[in-house]
Amino acid sequence: MGIMTAAPETRRALVVEDDVDIRGLLVQILKREGFEVTEAATAREGLQKARAGADLITLDLNLPDGDGVEVCREVRTFSDAYILMITARTDEIERLTGLETGADDYISKPFSPRELVARINSLFRRQNRQAAADVANADERQRAAEVQQNLLPRDQLALQDYELCGRFRPSRSVGGDFYDWYGTADGLHLTVADAMGKGMGAALIAATVRAIMRSVATQPSIETAFATAARATEADLEQTSSFVTLFHGRLDAATGVVGYVDAGHGLALHVAADGSVVRLPSAGPPVGAWPDQAWSAGTVHLEPGDSLAVVSDGLLDIYETVEQFTEAVAGVVTAAAGAEDACGRLLDMADVPEVADDVTVVILRRSPA
Amino acid sequence: MEFTTQDKGRYTEVSATGRLNMVAAPKLREVINGVVSAGGKRIVVNLAGTSFMDSSGLGALIGCLKLARQSGGDLRIAAVQPQVNMVLELTSMHRVLTPHATPEEAFLND
Repeated sequence: MGIMTAAPETRRALVVEDDVDIRGLLVQILKREGFEVTEAATAREGLQKARAGADLITLDLNLPDGDGVEVCREVRTFSDAYILMITARTDEIERLTGLETGADDYISKPFSPRELVARINSLFRRQNRQAAADVANADERQRAAEVQQNLLPRDQLALQDYELCGRFRPSRSVGGDFYDWYGTADGLHLTVADAMGKGMGAALIAATVRAIMRSVATQPSIETAFATAARATEADLEQTSSFVTLFHGRLDAATGVVGYVDAGHGLALHVAADGSVVRLPSAGPPVGAWPDQAWSAGTVHLEPGDSLAVVSDGLLDIYETVEQFTEAVAGVVTAAAGAEDACGRLLDMADVPEVADDVTVVILRRSPA
Repeated sequence: MEFTTQDKGRYTEVSATGRLNMVAAPKLREVINGVVSAGGKRIVVNLAGTSFMDSSGLGALIGCLKLARQSGGDLRIAAVQPQVNMVLELTSMHRVLTPHATPEEAFLND
């Protein structure tokens, strides 16, 4: 999950290079400089290992399965590591510096070990000046991550004939996804939301939206409750020109009827006991995206053995189409032993480099008769 | 992500090539801001080369649309690729940012 501890004595380096000899050389040099080194031979492997955390990444421009520039941009969406791009051609460097690659420095092959060490040292001198501030920031990020995890519902809802499970994996130490639920006299209320962007800004919005959604819990009409919450949220979002996708559902446990409002989320699935699946389309744009919106409520009837699966768009990134995504999620939910097993399996599916976003899964399952 | 801006007479075309994500979003805002500041009223964002868009990218497009409308103009999108179309439909934002098949068609009827 990448919670940063920023201990200056253990610097982690990742070497992404397909040439065995050059990779070996880089590893050797970096180890000698005191780095804890991991290596990757492909773009795919590199992205995966970058996600595990690194302070320095050396990145070959020409990888067998991808362009180093694209890998670099991707890494930048979730990592603040120092990225040193390595290219075989000097003239490439000029082209690269004109692009927004997200790289911090470039070096051309063949390079001398001394040159490489000089570059890295000058970088870490630059960084050391910021080290104190970074440690403070990392500390703050860690606290923020703890606060956010604590905002998620931990109480097991003891609701007869239903199982409920939620999981959240942020792409950074904190994220813009969240889910929430609480019991009511008739059943439960459930909210899944995804604030635009990633990191701290998105997390702050998510926390605000959670509080606002809880404040309308006692309003009997779901449409009125949602509209009230949306107006209050919009006022906050306007300052940040951001938006949030929201799924809000209310279960009547006795009948299995779930009333819901979907604002720009579009990834709630009704998976029937026989494995058939219907995706619930969104009733309008995300909250805060566009002024003067109204969202109409829909209903879905959970028969014994049916599930409602609400997933965030992070998992969607591994599929070509929404239809493929829908079928895949339905397959997992149907095959799983229960809500918790299904959540675990879906989160495992998201544990691939293609998924650079926060991932949230919430499953409400009505027990088979 | 790379942007090129072309004056097409009836409208200004901004072509966006690459991945429209958190990294590219501020750049797009900057480019559109430049077009609007220079007096551009009708803007078409050509997304033929945009293979991927995330929520930050969508946020940037929405921000640019608001900016264009606030200055008395309009912004439309064209040549949308499958993943971008998927994001627009999931979020229902295709109702506001309706994709046009080609940049030429975007302002054809007005």
